[in-house]
Amino acid sequence: MQVSEETFMGVPRKDIPWCPAIDYEKCDYCMECDEFCPHGVFERREGEEKKLVVAHPENCVVFCKVCAKTCGPDALSFPDKTETLELIKRLREDKRDG
Amino acid sequence: MAEKNKPVVLPCNGIDKEAGAISRELALLLLEKGADVICPVLYQSNPKRYQKKLESGKLLVIDGCKTGCASKLAREHGLKIAKKATVNELLKEENLKSGKSPVIGTEKLGLLPAWAERLEELEDIVAEEGGTHFKTPVSFRQFAFDKFIFKVPEAGYFFNENDCWARVEGDRARLGVSDYVQQSASDIIFFEPPEVGKELNMFDEAGSIESTKTALDIISPVSGTVTAVNQELVEAPELINSDPYVAGWAVEVALSDFESDRELLMDCAGYFDYLNEKVKKEYRKRYGGK
Ligand code: SF4
Ligand code: SF4
Repeated sequence: MQVSEETFMGVPRKDIPWCPAIDYEKCDYCMECDEFCPHGVFERREGEEKKLVVAHPENCVVFCKVCAKTCGPDALSFPDKTETLELIKRLREDKRDG
Repeated sequence: MAEKNKPVVLPCNGIDKEAGAISRELALLLLEKGADVICPVLYQSNPKRYQKKLESGKLLVIDGCKTGCASKLAREHGLKIAKKATVNELLKEENLKSGKSPVIGTEKLGLLPAWAERLEELEDIVAEEGGTHFKTPVSFRQFAFDKFIFKVPEAGYFFNENDCWARVEGDRARLGVSDYVQQSASDIIFFEPPEVGKELNMFDEAGSIESTKTALDIISPVSGTVTAVNQELVEAPELINSDPYVAGWAVEVALSDFESDRELLMDCAGYFDYLNEKVKKEYRKRYGGK
C-alpha cells in the first residue's frame, strides 16, 4: 500500500513552497542551521562549491523559521507568511469546490 | 474560626542568603501586623498543619531570589498565589543588591518596615490577569504509544498543525504548546515572551522556548493583540513540562477575528486524531516498518 501523501492543513505539502533559501553570498558554511534542524531539510555537499543545499524542502515544517536564528551571517530567508497563508486558503477552497 | 481573607505569608526563608533572610524578616513584620506566617520547612514536611489557615486566608508569597523556591513550593501543593513579591526586585528598585553575607546589612534593615507596608498593599495577581477567565477546570483524553502517553484537552481548545493551542473564552484566548511539543523537546529551560501590545497575525511568532535539546517558536493559531504574558512561566519555564495546557500558558491575546481563524484550526477531537497519526508516522520514520 502506498503511504498517504504528506499534507499541511489539508493541502498537499508539495504544493506549499515553504522552506529556507540560502543566500550563498552571505553563507560561510558554519553548518549551524543543519546541526540545528531535526527534520533533514539541509544536506552537506563535500567538495562542491555550494557545500550546503536545501535538499528536502518538503521536510521543512510550514511556518517554522527557527534555523534562521542560528545563522550568524543572516543568510537564511523564508517566504512571506501572509502570502503563504493566502495560498493555503486558496488551495483549500479549490479542493472544497472540487 | 479563622478570619476570611486574612493574609497568609509564605516566605522563602533561605537562611544562607541575604535575600532569604530578608524574606523571613518581612514575614515576621507582617506577622506582627496580624498576618499568619507559614514556615516553609514545616509546611514541606507536614502541609496539613497549615491547611485551615490556607483555606480561609489569602496567600502572599515572598521569594528571595529568582529561583523562586517559595512560589515553587506553593505550586507543588496546588496553592493559589494571590500576591507575590521577590526580595531581589525590591532591592533592585533601591539600587541595592543581595549581599554575600546572609546577615542583613543595616541599610537594608532600615528599609524593611516600608517594604512590609508595601506588601500589605500589593494588588492581587488574579485581578491583573483578567479576572474570571480561564478558571474552569480542564479535562483530558489521552492515548498511549510505545512508552509515551499523550494528553489532549477534551474541549475549549483549538490547534494548528504546528502543535500550538489557543484556549478560547469569549473574545480572549490563551496560547501555548501541546503535550507533544513538551515531550519531544524535553526539559524546557527558557521562555522568551513577546511584548505586550504586539499585534499577531495567525502563524506569527508568539514568543519562543528553549529546551535542553532544541529551540522553537510558539506559532500563534489565532490573530489578535497580546494583552498579557505568563510571568510565572518566565520564572519557571518547566511549567510547560508539568502542565502544558493550563499553568504552562504563554500569552494571552484579545482576539481580532476568531470566526475566520477557526476555519483553519483543529478542535480537540481533530487534534487528538491528528496527533495520534503524527506520533505513529514519526515512530515509523525512526524505527522503520509500515
Ligand atoms: S525552518 Fe524549521 S523545519 Fe525548516 S529547515 Fe529551518 S529549522 Fe528546519
Ligand atoms: S547557519 Fe547560515 S552561514 Fe551557517 S551554514 Fe547555515 S546558512 Fe550558512
